[in-house]
Amino acid sequence: MIDISRYDSTFENKWCPGCGNFGILQAMKHALSSLTIPPEKVLIVSGIGQAGKTPHFIRCNMFHGLHGRALPVATGAKVANHDLTVLVSSGDGDCYGEGGNHFIHAIRRNPNITLLVHNNQVYGLTKGQASPTSSIGMITKLQPHGVHQTPFNPILVALSLGATFVARGFSGKIQQLSQLIQQGIQHRGFSIIDICQPCVSFNSINTYPWYQKRIYELDEATHNRSDLKHAMELATEWEERIPLGIIYQSQRPAFEDTIDALKTLPLVKQETQVDQLRTIMNNEHKRN
Amino acid sequence: MGIDISIQIGGEAGQGIQTVGQLLSLVCQKAGLYVFAINDYESRVRGGESFLQLRIADRPIDAPYHRLHLLIALDRKAYDLHKSELDDGGLVMIDTEIGVEGDSVFTLPINALAKQAGGLITANTVAASACIGLLGGPLTLLNEVLEDLFGKKEKSVMDKNLMAASLGFKAVQLAKFQWAFSWQEKEPKGIMLDGAQSIALGALASDCRFAAFYPMSPATAIMSYLVSYGQKGLPVVVEQVEDEIAAVNMAIGASFAGVRSMTATSGGGFCLMTEGLGLAAISETPLVIVNAQRPGPATGMATRTAQADLLFAIYASQDEFPRFIFAPGTINEAYDTMQKAFLLSEKYQVPSIVLVDHFFNTSLYIADKPFQVPDRIERFYVTDQEISNPASYLRFQVTPDGISPRALPCNGDALVLVTGNEHSEDGHNSEAIDVRIAMADKRMKKIAAMTKEMKPPESYYGDAEMLLLGWGSSKGAIREAVDILRKYGMDAGCLHFVDIWPFPAQIVADMLKKKKRIVMVEGNMTAQLGRIIKEQTGIAYTHTLLKYDGRPFYPQKIVDQFMQ
Ligand SMILES: Cc1ncc(C[n+]2csc(CCOP(=O)(O)OP(=O)(O)O)c2C)c(N)n1
Ligand code: SF4
Ligand SMILES: [Mg+2]
Repeated sequence: MIDISRYDSTFENKWCPGCGNFGILQAMKHALSSLTIPPEKVLIVSGIGQAGKTPHFIRCNMFHGLHGRALPVATGAKVANHDLTVLVSSGDGDCYGEGGNHFIHAIRRNPNITLLVHNNQVYGLTKGQASPTSSIGMITKLQPHGVHQTPFNPILVALSLGATFVARGFSGKIQQLSQLIQQGIQHRGFSIIDICQPCVSFNSINTYPWYQKRIYELDEATHNRSDLKHAMELATEWEERIPLGIIYQSQRPAFEDTIDALKTLPLVKQETQVDQLRTIMNNEHKRN
Repeated sequence: MGIDISIQIGGEAGQGIQTVGQLLSLVCQKAGLYVFAINDYESRVRGGESFLQLRIADRPIDAPYHRLHLLIALDRKAYDLHKSELDDGGLVMIDTEIGVEGDSVFTLPINALAKQAGGLITANTVAASACIGLLGGPLTLLNEVLEDLFGKKEKSVMDKNLMAASLGFKAVQLAKFQWAFSWQEKEPKGIMLDGAQSIALGALASDCRFAAFYPMSPATAIMSYLVSYGQKGLPVVVEQVEDEIAAVNMAIGASFAGVRSMTATSGGGFCLMTEGLGLAAISETPLVIVNAQRPGPATGMATRTAQADLLFAIYASQDEFPRFIFAPGTINEAYDTMQKAFLLSEKYQVPSIVLVDHFFNTSLYIADKPFQVPDRIERFYVTDQEISNPASYLRFQVTPDGISPRALPCNGDALVLVTGNEHSEDGHNSEAIDVRIAMADKRMKKIAAMTKEMKPPESYYGDAEMLLLGWGSSKGAIREAVDILRKYGMDAGCLHFVDIWPFPAQIVADMLKKKKRIVMVEGNMTAQLGRIIKEQTGIAYTHTLLKYDGRPFYPQKIVDQFMQ
């Protein structure tokens, strides 16, 4: 354990009191301290939104980038220095809307990073428009007749694309969420944790009581994480019951493991190959 | 007049135009001649009419010739399309089977000879060796080239090609070609490569370690060179990603973590990168973007050339921020410019944009200066030892020159906090008035020193009363146009811009003072560089020679237009 206060940021927190993000923040600190990963070894990348502000509120390295673009930045940083533990804090709009293409392709690429989606089913920062995960019928100022699109199902999409670690957490269950984050970090490959996060200001449907009524924890002893079919069934549970835990986990080489140039030292630590470069330039001479 | 011969190989895509062109250019290069070739093709993989136009000379050339001395027509269509481009006394070499006749037609049973040599596959070798024969060249050089190319393959492949070469060569023994010349044994003048390759090699010589891209002509070739060099034991990772937005952001992420990074694209992809460009700017993360231009708007013409993204490169942004823009004109300039782009991007923590184009990327050049690799790559970041108190490290510390000491994440105790939101010195978001002004000023302050890094435009007869002004890949054509104009007795010169932004206004103003004629020669419709010059120096150009047909500049055509 590292003293958890080492992750405390002195920057003023800007979230609404009661926001689900506080629970996620707490779980992140707990997970990092439990795994004894010191702040200087951690990089938290985020996009734009309330979720995107997370790295300001935890003392680690931070790259707070563009709306929707956290995953590419995180992947680039991880390739450059695979000694970094890279976490991504993203929102449902950030990750499943603006950055949806990167979500899809990060799954295919399987970089060794951990994605936390603060899924409040609404655009918090921009004051309450519908998000890709908003329920059908949700009324907002900008959707006065109610949302008519089918909600994006991140778990099912992830499973269908061959994701290697798919989990769901709840910001109100900090202990369990910390466990999920720890297992996500320890998973070799892309770990996705979709986190149910009540937004107390703009989402009056998916509230703490709404979630409390539906959530249940998958039984670690009986749930077979490698059963894709069953995972897909679990992924479709929502309106009545919401499963929490690691829904699916499998192994295939992480992105960095497939790259020869990364077999030894991190890219950033390797020596410049001046001699090899000269050989290449000279061979160009000869070959022609 | 020395040697200056223009040979075109025309036919359908997939017919072996490239192979004939490669054999000929390699032979000429071995013979110590200068070669230059353009590739002209449609955006399709098979069929369509393409050509490779090779120019051979005994002096450096970086532009195509507007007429043909020899047309190697691999099909009837090539003959029909291009016979009118023949110079007086020029020849068409064409297979007897195609059945074309005429004064300037030289028929040769190319396919029949190839079959005799062992298979139709050797037809390209027959054509190339007949061409060498017409030029009065030695068969031995072609045999050496074949040895280089096929020596490692099965012996039968080699034997068939040697046979084909000898048959093709013999078949033209009695033919007369007006431009035949006496070949001397000389050392090669330099390596032969295309523009895209020089960009890739320049990136590697800058210790670029990460490149992300989404395929788009004519930028993709840069990445394929990087991929193949990366397999030669260099610490380089090249990743094809889902879109250009991912490409630019991934490159920024890698650069943030400490490795030199780049991406390459064309106009449409560069549009998608614009928000990322702003992110690099406000997060002060070094980044090199190559924009290999093609005509637009939108998809435009995928396999044609243009110089019409200059203003966009200068002004593409949210809000305002400094950047470097370069537009190399020759193969050696491109190699050097890439190194400068990487170095300065890192030194000033601003994005560098390198503008090339389809013509440059796909043309074949001889680099007459060797590609040097520096002993040590100068880097611009700080470690804990150089930071007085790593625990309170400020990534965006306000400094007199606007450059804040840049630490890398996970490289000591200093935590690196970066955001694309406006921020205070510690990297946390801030919208306070004084912070905003201090940060915007800090970023802009770099421009003074950045401008000093800009080398003045290269002057060629810069004292002349009439100056042609250009930038990027048209350099060779414009210089040659000046040579021709001077031969006509005109007092003409030119200025060629590689370092374009921040614009070296004072120097340029001095160079343009009291000129009778300032002629903008640009591959766009509105004289974009001319407009920048006017904006920055107050000096207005007097004439324009603009080209937006998607085709390259030809020296003589510049002259002809100029005379009008
Ligand atoms: C390119 C771009 N488009 C739009 C925005 C405006 N914007 C900022 S955050 C956001 C949505 C945030 O929603 P979500 O990702 O769910 O995060 P939350 O605030 O709910 O945590 C939008 C639309 C932006 N910053 N950049
Ligand atoms: S708006 Fe919603 S998501 Fe944003 S801080 Fe407030 S409660 Fe949290
Ligand atoms: Mg949201």
